[in-house]
Parts: sequence; C-alpha cells; structure tokens
Amino acid sequence: MKLRHRISLLAGAVLLLVLLICAGVLLLYARRTILTLTEDQARNKQSALAASFASMARYYAADTDSDAARESLIRYCFARFADQEGVLLRGDDILYSSVSVNPGEYAQPDKQSVAAALFRGPVDGRQLLIVASYEWVQADTYYVGLVRDITEVYDAIGRLTRLFLLVCGLGVGLGMGLLFFVVKRSTAPLSRLTAATGEIAAGAYDKRVAVSGRDEVSDLGRSFNQMAEAVENRIDALTAQNERQRLFIGGVSHEFKTPLAAIGLHGELLENAKLSPAERADSLRHIRRSGAYMNRMIQSLMELLLLDQGIEKEETEPAALLSAVAEAARDGLSARGVTLITVCEDAAPLPLNPTLMTSLLLNLVENGARSYDPEDRNKTVTLRATDRCFEVSDRGRGIPAQAQKHIFEPFYRVDKARSRKQGGSGLGLALVKAIADAHGAALSLDSQPGRGTTFRITF
Amino acid sequence: MQNRILLVEDDQAIADAVALNLKIVGYDCVRFEDGRAAADSLEADHAFDLALLDIMLPGMDGFELLSYMKKYAIPVIYMTAKADAASEIRGLLDGAEDYVTKPFDMMALMVRMEKVLVRTGKLNRIYRAGDVELDDYRHEVYKAGKRVDLRPLEYNVLLFLMKHKNLTVTREQLLSEVWGFEYMGESRSVDVKISSLRRKLGLNDAIKTVQKLGYRLEDR
Repeated sequence: MKLRHRISLLAGAVLLLVLLICAGVLLLYARRTILTLTEDQARNKQSALAASFASMARYYAADTDSDAARESLIRYCFARFADQEGVLLRGDDILYSSVSVNPGEYAQPDKQSVAAALFRGPVDGRQLLIVASYEWVQADTYYVGLVRDITEVYDAIGRLTRLFLLVCGLGVGLGMGLLFFVVKRSTAPLSRLTAATGEIAAGAYDKRVAVSGRDEVSDLGRSFNQMAEAVENRIDALTAQNERQRLFIGGVSHEFKTPLAAIGLHGELLENAKLSPAERADSLRHIRRSGAYMNRMIQSLMELLLLDQGIEKEETEPAALLSAVAEAARDGLSARGVTLITVCEDAAPLPLNPTLMTSLLLNLVENGARSYDPEDRNKTVTLRATDRCFEVSDRGRGIPAQAQKHIFEPFYRVDKARSRKQGGSGLGLALVKAIADAHGAALSLDSQPGRGTTFRITF
Repeated sequence: MQNRILLVEDDQAIADAVALNLKIVGYDCVRFEDGRAAADSLEADHAFDLALLDIMLPGMDGFELLSYMKKYAIPVIYMTAKADAASEIRGLLDGAEDYVTKPFDMMALMVRMEKVLVRTGKLNRIYRAGDVELDDYRHEVYKAGKRVDLRPLEYNVLLFLMKHKNLTVTREQLLSEVWGFEYMGESRSVDVKISSLRRKLGLNDAIKTVQKLGYRLEDR
C-alpha cells in the first residue's frame, strides 16, 4: 500500500471519528433541548389549564346542587379553557376528550398532591407527550390531562440526525479528497526520487532530480543530488583511471613489441643467414641492446608499480642524497663525456624516501645528459639542493614548447628514434612525476630550445 | 632487374634486420627512418615495386604516407606494433595490400611480399646465384649462359633455394613447398635432389649443408 494511500485513509478515519463524535454530541444536546422545551411548554399549558379550570369550576360549583348540573358545569368550565389536547377524567369516566387514547393509562400523578405527572413515549405508532395532574372541586377528584402528539418533533429530530450524518459524510469525503491531493503533491518528489534512483542504478550517473521548496522532502532531494554528484564524480574518476591504466598497458605492450621484433628478426638472421663477421656482430649488438632496453623498461615499470603501494619516508640530508646520485650517475655520465656538478646550499633535512628520490634525481640527471649531442662541448649537468627544493639543469637542446605538457606522460618521446638510441625507456620522466607525486612535491620545468632545461622539485 | 623495396622504419634494429635480409635474398632496399623524409624523396625517385611502412613514424605517420604511395602506385605492406583491429582495418581500408604486426618473422613477411608482387605483376622472376641463372618466366636454367636440363622437382627445389638465397631452408620447408603438404615421404628425397643439383650445376660449394637443419644456397 502506497504511503499516500495509507496517510489519506488514516487521516480520513480520524476525521470521520471526530466528525461523528462532534455530530453525536451536538445531536444529543439538540434533542434534549428540543424535548425539554416541548415538555416545558406542555407542562405550562397543562398547569394553566388545570388551574384555570379548577378555579372556575370551584367558583361555580358551589351554586349547583344536582349532579347533572354540576357535571354540565364542570364540562363547560373545562371546555372553556381546553383545546383538542385537553382531557378531563373523573375516576374512569371520560368527561372531556378529543383524543383516542386514555391518558390515565399512561400518566398517573400522585393523588395526594397537585404535582403533575409526565409521560412521553410511543402509543399506537405515534409519539405522545402526556402531562396530567389532579384537581379537586368540592368532593370530586378530577384528572386534568394534556395529550400532545409530538411525532413531528421526533421526525424533525430524525431529519436533523440524517442531515448531520450527511454533513459528516460529505466532510469526510471532501477532507479525504483534499488530503489525498495534498499528500500526493508532497510525496510526488519521493516518486521522482525513486525513479531517479532506478535510472542511476541502471547507469545514468548524470541523473538529478528537480528540487523546489524547503520541506523535508526537498532536503532529501538536495541530499540525494549531492550523493548522486559524489557518485558520478567517483565513477568518472574511476573511469578515467581505468582508461589511463588501459592506455598505459596498451603503451607497455606496444613498447615491448618493438624490441621483441628486433630480437626475433636478428635471431632469425643469425640462425639462418650467411653473414659476414661484421654483420653478425651488428645483429648480436642489436639483440643485446634490445634486451637491455626491455630490462630498463621492466625496472621502471616495477618502480611505478611499487609506488602505488605507498612509500615510507625518513628525514634525509639533501647532501647525502646528492652524493648518492653522483655515485650512481658517474659511469653513465663519464661514458657520454658529461660532467655532473652538485651544489648543496643551506639545505635542511627533508622527509623523503631516499631510494626513490635518488632514482628521481638520477633519472633527471641522465635525462639532462641525453640532451647533449655527442659533438657538443662543455657538457655539464648541475644538481642543486636549496631549501626544500632540488634543481637539475642542463644546457642541452631543450624541450619544444608543445612537447612540454606531454613530457611526463608514459612513453611520450620528443624524438622517438634518438631517445631509444640514447638509452631512454620512455618511462623515465613518468617515473619522476610519479615519485614527486608520491612525495607530495611539486614538479616544474623551465626549458628553452637550444638553451637547456631546468627541472625543479619543490617540497 | 632486382625488385626495389622502400623501407620506412624508425627503429634502427628492425630496419637493419629487414634491410639486411632483403639484401641477401636479392632485393634492392632503400631505407628511411623519417616519414616526412620518405615522402619528400618520392618526387625524385619513386621507382619502387613495394613499400614496407611502419605506422608510428617521426615526421609523418604511415597512414598519411600511404596517400603518397598511392600517388605513385606503390603497393604497401604495413609492419607495425599496433595490433588493434581498428588500425589493421583502417590500414587495409585505406588501400594497403597487407598488414603484419610486430613481432613478425622474416620468412612470413617475404611470402606476403612475394604475393603482393605477383598480384601487381612486378615480381622479378629471374634469379641468379653465381653463374647460375633461373628464368622462371620460361622455366629454364642456365649455367654460365648454357641451358641445363632439370627435372621438374629439381627445378622447384632450385627455385625455392634461389628465392631464399643465403638463408637456410629446412628439409621440411622444401618438402612442403616442393612436394606439397600431403607428401609424407622421407627427407631423403630432398637430399637426392640437392645432390643432383650440385652435380648438374656445379654448385658443390654454393649449396651448403647446414648440419641438422637443411641447406643454404650461398652467393656472397
């Protein structure tokens, strides 16, 4: 059962009950008031009738002797005041009556007093009100009654009751209709929320609900939209991450295919072809280089993977880091005829992972060394540590402006052929970026083609 | 007249291997590492029977380079590390003759090259090794200018050796190529044909026995 139906039904029942109680109380009060008024009126009339009849009868009765004359007088006196409601009895004799019932059977007043007796109830299918009292004229006791047909009063009360019930019914119907409309209006946003939830669950993460007003349902709508926003952002982030990883894996497999093809082809040549000693040596050299290239790539990949598992930092003296980098870079640089200059200026210890930071700086230093052509002179790379900052600069060929924003992407190469020839893995600067990110350090570069490049890591 | 092949490949190791292989079996191979340089050179020299193109090239990529090749009606075989179906379909839809993905083996590439050359009618069917010439147009073999009669199987063995000059061919390759896949005979039959070829054409030194593998017709 829907919430709006339940609320409407419940409220309708309460409304009905309240209306019925109110109507009942009003009805009972009205009935009592009407009956009391009717009775009082009848009482007064009977009392006046009795008193007038008695006083007139007593006045004239003294002058009559015979019973017959007295009876005529009594009848006359009564008829003088009574209308068709009046009834006069003496014992069982009906002296005056224009009604078909004998009131003496229903209302029996006390014979010792003048107090009136009252009867109200159904007689022969009619509702009758009977008021009666005794009067004494000389030695005789007279029963003075008033018989009033109040069926119409009861009918009026019945009509009133039906009217009340009708009003109650209409009120409940109208109230429930109104309530249903209001509840439906205020729960409509819930239906929309339900529909939106379904759509989001089915994958429409950009779905939002329209929110208006300031009630709880609107608050729910706003919260819902916030939640949907958060879910969508998260999904987008995950999708983007997934896409990056997919591209990365695609890049890795693509990058492996080239050296694999070279190894395969030269292996085939060595196995099958008649080659000169120089050709054999060339083939072997290509195989060895391709293998070394793949090995470098695997090492970089392993480091990238390890970075994902979080890093441990320790307070490290920049000076110690610089000498570790210089030590590691020495052989590679001297083979290229490049000199490494290390400068340590007023650098306080920094929280970092020394192994990874050495790898980062080494990558930058080697990158700097590769920026020179073999015939260049004064080939130097400067590694500088200042306060919370490392700088690696060369005076080599520099990086073209349009390449600068791609330079940290995996497998991006400014010059593909030269990079591989000079021993790049295509991952070096991607690794640099990943290590800097893992340390929360900012990585920037400043390069001018033909003038050289400076990389800067700022903690 | 050797078939001239244009090779555009930026990886030096692969280019070296392919070029050397083509050279020793008797193709004339012109190399470029840069796509733009290859395209620019065509105006002056476009007498190529076939082009082998990498797709990811510096200067100009292989897809773009294809339109230059079409201009001079040079058929193209792509050789690339892009193994996705979309690249392959694009390459073939654009009008490339074939598509090989790295890593590939040279034997397979040469079979595809030969098929393309046959299809375009440009295959050079005159093969030479030393003073022996095989004219596959007329199905004749000459030794120092004089015709030599060969049995059909001998001719086919020599043709296969000529096509893979300076490369080792295995007995199994010869069997399946010359005798056919169904032939389940002994590799001994190969040895018999080889020795009669050596005798009839004086190729005792030129046809080398490669231990445990097969034979190699050497000419360099």
